[in-house]
Amino acid sequence: MSSTDMTSPMAGNRKRSLLVDIVGAAITLLTIVAAVIWFFPVAWAILTSLKTDDETVRPGFHLLPEAPTFNGYLFVLQHSDIGIWYLNSTITSVTVTVVAVFMAACAGYAISQLRFPGRLLLWWTILASFMVPGSALIVNHFIIMAGVKLLNSHLGIILPMLITPVTVIVYKQFFDSLPREFREAAVMDGANEFQLLFRVFLPMNWGITTALAIITFIGAWNTFLWPFLAVQNEKMMTVTVGITAVQDAFGVAYARTLAGAVMAGLPVALAYLLFQRRVTQAITLSAGIKG
Amino acid sequence: MSYVELQNVTKRYGNVEVINNLSLGIEEGSFTALLGPSGCGKSTMLRMIAGLEEITGGKCFIDGADVTDMPPAKRGVAMVFQNYALYPHLTVGQNIAFSMSLAPAPKALQESRVAEVARMLQLEQLLDRRPAQLSGGQRQRVAIGRALVREPKVFLFDEPLSNLDAALRSQMRLELARLHQQVKTTMIYVTHDQIEAMTLADKIVVLDKGVIAQTGSPLELYNKPANKFVAAFIGSPAMNFVPADVASREGNAVTVVFAGGNRETITARNPATADKHIEIGVRPEHLKLVASGSGNAAFEGTVSIIEQLGNSTLLYVDTAAGPLVVEGEGNLKAATGDKVGLAIDTANAHLFGDDGKVL
Repeated sequence: MSSTDMTSPMAGNRKRSLLVDIVGAAITLLTIVAAVIWFFPVAWAILTSLKTDDETVRPGFHLLPEAPTFNGYLFVLQHSDIGIWYLNSTITSVTVTVVAVFMAACAGYAISQLRFPGRLLLWWTILASFMVPGSALIVNHFIIMAGVKLLNSHLGIILPMLITPVTVIVYKQFFDSLPREFREAAVMDGANEFQLLFRVFLPMNWGITTALAIITFIGAWNTFLWPFLAVQNEKMMTVTVGITAVQDAFGVAYARTLAGAVMAGLPVALAYLLFQRRVTQAITLSAGIKG
Repeated sequence: MSYVELQNVTKRYGNVEVINNLSLGIEEGSFTALLGPSGCGKSTMLRMIAGLEEITGGKCFIDGADVTDMPPAKRGVAMVFQNYALYPHLTVGQNIAFSMSLAPAPKALQESRVAEVARMLQLEQLLDRRPAQLSGGQRQRVAIGRALVREPKVFLFDEPLSNLDAALRSQMRLELARLHQQVKTTMIYVTHDQIEAMTLADKIVVLDKGVIAQTGSPLELYNKPANKFVAAFIGSPAMNFVPADVASREGNAVTVVFAGGNRETITARNPATADKHIEIGVRPEHLKLVASGSGNAAFEGTVSIIEQLGNSTLLYVDTAAGPLVVEGEGNLKAATGDKVGLAIDTANAHLFGDDGKVL
């Protein structure tokens, strides 16, 4: 064998490796550019919220505040009901998270593990329901909530937000994937259906419940349209709705408006930072369903 | 009535009949193995006794009580599953105590029972570990412990050793035999491994396509198979079957002619049957090597393969009647290509009719 023959596979490997490096570098660069483009408005909002109102309307492009100040934040805290809005958001988001995840676990378990008349019809109804966008139902929700006199109440915000078919589907798929011996062993040990669900099935992978709870919470906290329609009373507003009131009340005062926006988004940002891996897991779990 | 009794039990999945009008009695304190190939219905039978499968027709009794429609937990049975089914989020101790915690039994009682079972199964050092941190044998012991803690009337084992390697399987066989001697509880054991059934059980039920092919002690099945299916299924290497024609009958003595023209007289168990074309069943250890062309050779042939197992030697011999396996002593001197004669130990030969039943 000639020396050329011996070296050519190595040379080929080097070429391939170089190509992989170049493609990898290009992808990394693109990712960085995308991250910068995505994060720029967030960073600008945070930096603007630390400026004085005069500085925000000064001509020219000044990204960094000359003398960072928390006046915008102090003003919002002192002159708005943001504390009450936080409380409303917390009450509604936590309730929606707990109740929706609990109901989805029960429904997913029932459809996956129990045999009862209408099971398949129920399953297809749930599958079909997540193909209808929530905003398409919002008028119906409004009419129903007005009919039962639940507008301007926590319950009125919460009830329509409990419809989370994707969570049911994720749970059903998880329960389907468990070997049937776990159920049979527990049944032989004398477990009833509730014990099976809460002492065997759910604890076997709390990660799924945690992940679903986090994305449900983030979704509930960020929801704007339904609470915006369901609540007119300022004392019942959630943070996302309340900050629009800040803008209306303060006029053109970007620092204060953006301070309110940053405060509204802070819990979700913190939740995401703390539970990044769980959020990614939840997105992965539901990715195949949402397509 | 037997301690566990199935009366005319049938199991159907839609139009497919898995168990066909099966009746079986199992005595209290016995170790019964349900043996058969995959798909013969043995696991379905066990699951019907457990209450995990509905019985389509017939009745199931345990300790005199009709449990046909009783939920599994109320039947007084405990089951060990093939893949252990240990709850991964619970420790060994919590797994063993699980059934008691559901009741719920007092904490002190749970702890004392878990300690007792752990001592019996040598699990004391592992009580705080989770299943993922255990070896296959340890997991199997925990699964047995989980069944043991319930003090059931009947233990059900569904191929519990099939996930273990050969060495561990033989060790666990011994432990199960010891456990049965210790607790003396009725045990029903499903397996497709005849060695497990033969070594553990005092009664074996051989199943074939949803019906009982034969029931008896391990040696009864080995020495007096009721039909060709049992004869072929029990024993390793498997029994040789050679087609033959009946030349004459005198009482129980049936003289047969083999394809090579050689004759042999074999004692039948059911001489009344008048089949003309039959099959002779001979276990490899009941064929003797003799000099080629000697008068007492039933078959003449050539050695094609030799397997030396240490304690015995297996010879695969091509004969006019077909290939035959012969089991000789460990130090047997033979070489491939040797011309040999094979003599039948007629006292241990079996005659099978056209329908596969022993004659």
